[in-house]
Amino acid sequence: MTQCPECDATVENPTMIVGEVFPCPDCGTELEVSGLEPFAVVLAPQEAEDWGE
Amino acid sequence: MNVAVVGGSGYVGGELLRLLLHHPDVELAQVTSVHWAGKPIARAHPNLRGASSLRFVSPADLRPAEALFVATPHGEAMARMPEWLASSGFVIDLTADHRLHDAAAYPRYYRADHPHPELLTQAVPGLPEFYRNELRAARLIAVPGCIATASILALRPLVGLTGVPDRPVVIDAKSGSSASGRESGPAGAHAERSGVMRAYAPAGHRHTAEIEQETGLTVALSAHAVEAVRGVLATCHVFLSRPVEEKELWRTYRAAYGSEPFVRIVHDSDGLYREPEPKILAGSNYCDVGFAVDAHAQRLVAIAALDNLGKGAAGNAVQCFNVRAGRPETTALDFPGLHPI
Repeated sequence: MTQCPECDATVENPTMIVGEVFPCPDCGTELEVSGLEPFAVVLAPQEAEDWGE
Repeated sequence: MNVAVVGGSGYVGGELLRLLLHHPDVELAQVTSVHWAGKPIARAHPNLRGASSLRFVSPADLRPAEALFVATPHGEAMARMPEWLASSGFVIDLTADHRLHDAAAYPRYYRADHPHPELLTQAVPGLPEFYRNELRAARLIAVPGCIATASILALRPLVGLTGVPDRPVVIDAKSGSSASGRESGPAGAHAERSGVMRAYAPAGHRHTAEIEQETGLTVALSAHAVEAVRGVLATCHVFLSRPVEEKELWRTYRAAYGSEPFVRIVHDSDGLYREPEPKILAGSNYCDVGFAVDAHAQRLVAIAALDNLGKGAAGNAVQCFNVRAGRPETTALDFPGLHPI
């Protein structure tokens, strides 16, 4: 169990693996599992938009 | 439970009937209307065709009921409430007639003295989120107005937040045409209403008094009519005395509404509907509450959306009924809304 770095919501999921990306249930921010014991998350990297450059 | 509705021919009355007819613990015994007496309720509310064989009755034929809902035009309930209270187990008043605790506010906002000011202090505001315990024993429940409900739900959690100053909070409210009622007059004609973006009450809106009463804030409310049938969007601008972070607001709103069945915190980082939007709430009893921080202007924007006939009136009244009657609070209110709509 840990907190969403964006909104402080409690997030947990014992079945996930490191590197898995999931949305925060409250604010929808994409989170990436960074550790399992203890369970930890970071903001998932956002794909930058490429507007045809 | 034996239930009657006084003034059931308007838009709020129709929404109330739609919900009560599908409530498993309600036996809808009577619905009154001065103008529609003797006619089937589906004549006024065609969506209820086949749902009930009830006909409107004259208010003079109203019999005692365990619970009485009042959805008459503003001003009528204040005179007759003592007799309705005497013949009913409890009364849920959807009019404005018992919303304000201060009798002196009625001449100012409703251009009439209140004939029974002693009832104003007895009336419990119909806001389960803040008065759940009081509602369980209430004899008179005063359901707030639609813009007031949205604004109060957006603002009241912020009141204890350090940094919310004792300065006016600006509320920019938009509402759909059904909020002005079935008898809205020439303003409701299609030629006048279609395509409208009208500041119909840029200052002095009646709901100002309710919002101030329930938040303790000084309110500067401007109300606009927009191209919609149902819906209220209240955008509240709070100019702060210190910076706040979104995380603090998440915690504040989560503490207020994390367990509430009909208030959802909507501040999503992705998707089309990132902030509250009344369009997808039509027919539901939800009020969606969201926020944004404007660091440049040190401004907090609190946003609330609801269906003015749902959580803004009839849905909220049924929620209050469920609390008062000791029924599960979500009974008959679990419709999630439509998308797309």
